[in-house]
Amino acid sequence: MAIEIPGKRWGKRLQHSKVFAHGGHGKKSIYADLLITPLVDMFVIIVLFLIANFSATGEVLMMTKDVQLPEAFNVTEIEMAPVVLVSNTDIIVSGNAIGRVDDLTRDEYLNIPALEEKLRVMKKNYEDLHALAKDTEGSFKGDVNIQASKDVQFKVIKRVLYSCATAGYSNLNFAVLQKGTADGAPSAATAAP
Amino acid sequence: MAGGMDLGTSSKGGKKPLDAQINLVPFIDLMAVTISFLIMTAVWTQIGRLQVANSGASSEPASPTEDKTPPISLLITEKELRLSAGQQSFDPIPVTRGPDNKLELGKLKDKFKELKTQLPDAAAITLQAEDGIRYEDLVRIIDECKGGGLPNVSVAAAMG
Repeated sequence: MAIEIPGKRWGKRLQHSKVFAHGGHGKKSIYADLLITPLVDMFVIIVLFLIANFSATGEVLMMTKDVQLPEAFNVTEIEMAPVVLVSNTDIIVSGNAIGRVDDLTRDEYLNIPALEEKLRVMKKNYEDLHALAKDTEGSFKGDVNIQASKDVQFKVIKRVLYSCATAGYSNLNFAVLQKGTADGAPSAATAAP
Repeated sequence: MAGGMDLGTSSKGGKKPLDAQINLVPFIDLMAVTISFLIMTAVWTQIGRLQVANSGASSEPASPTEDKTPPISLLITEKELRLSAGQQSFDPIPVTRGPDNKLELGKLKDKFKELKTQLPDAAAITLQAEDGIRYEDLVRIIDECKGGGLPNVSVAAAMG
């Protein structure tokens, strides 16, 4: 039988206790417990935050550094529609460059023929596709999103608007950055017939 | 700890402990996958739209809502804003800019309030902008119109 040092000897139950059996100076266990509760709490909060911010429509507009959108309060949710991008240098529709803003500023025409043509083609494609699919509900509404940089002159915007209107796109939507929420704004904006 | 359910060590029919631990590992896995998916599909910029009608190059309002309501128009030049309702025209509002080069539209807001007290049924306005007006200024004025109770905004070019 092993000789035991005199002194207090704890019972069987406390032999493995850090406090009583070894006086707090025993071998530290190599197993560290991970605190799961705060981790799970954090995950739940992050998931809730991300779900609250989740947008089912996704990104309708391609944001680029060249285009700085203006800000507005009384806005409605953006919808899927053809996008006419007007940067400080170029006009782009569906990834195709239509013209240069400098050239358009110089000449005095009312429309932009290339833009008009492109939009007409897009309209025709849309109508043909829906006719093939025999989709009577998804008729052409004439929606177009205009994503213009805030420094562009109205002279260029005017020509874009005119071209859209003559190509059959009469529902013009200016894309803007939503800046807070104004009281009663959505109802006021959607009240338009 | 989080590895599984603790149902006690004895199998001799002793008292089973009442505290059972939930298996958290699959739960954490699910959370991690959900978070990754949501972060990848998140849209961080809140983009909205301002719907306008195009009244072409003419100075006529696009859609007068009622016959009783005179057409309201706002001429936007680089120096002033001129609001008019039918034959009645309000005092021109000089264009002033804040320190960040943004239009100050407090006076225009007051004019809209005044206009709405005179013509409570008015809902349409035509903006006639000069060529040199910046798009940002136009958008801010459209925003102000919608906020001021005139949601049917049409845009036209200023004549002359």
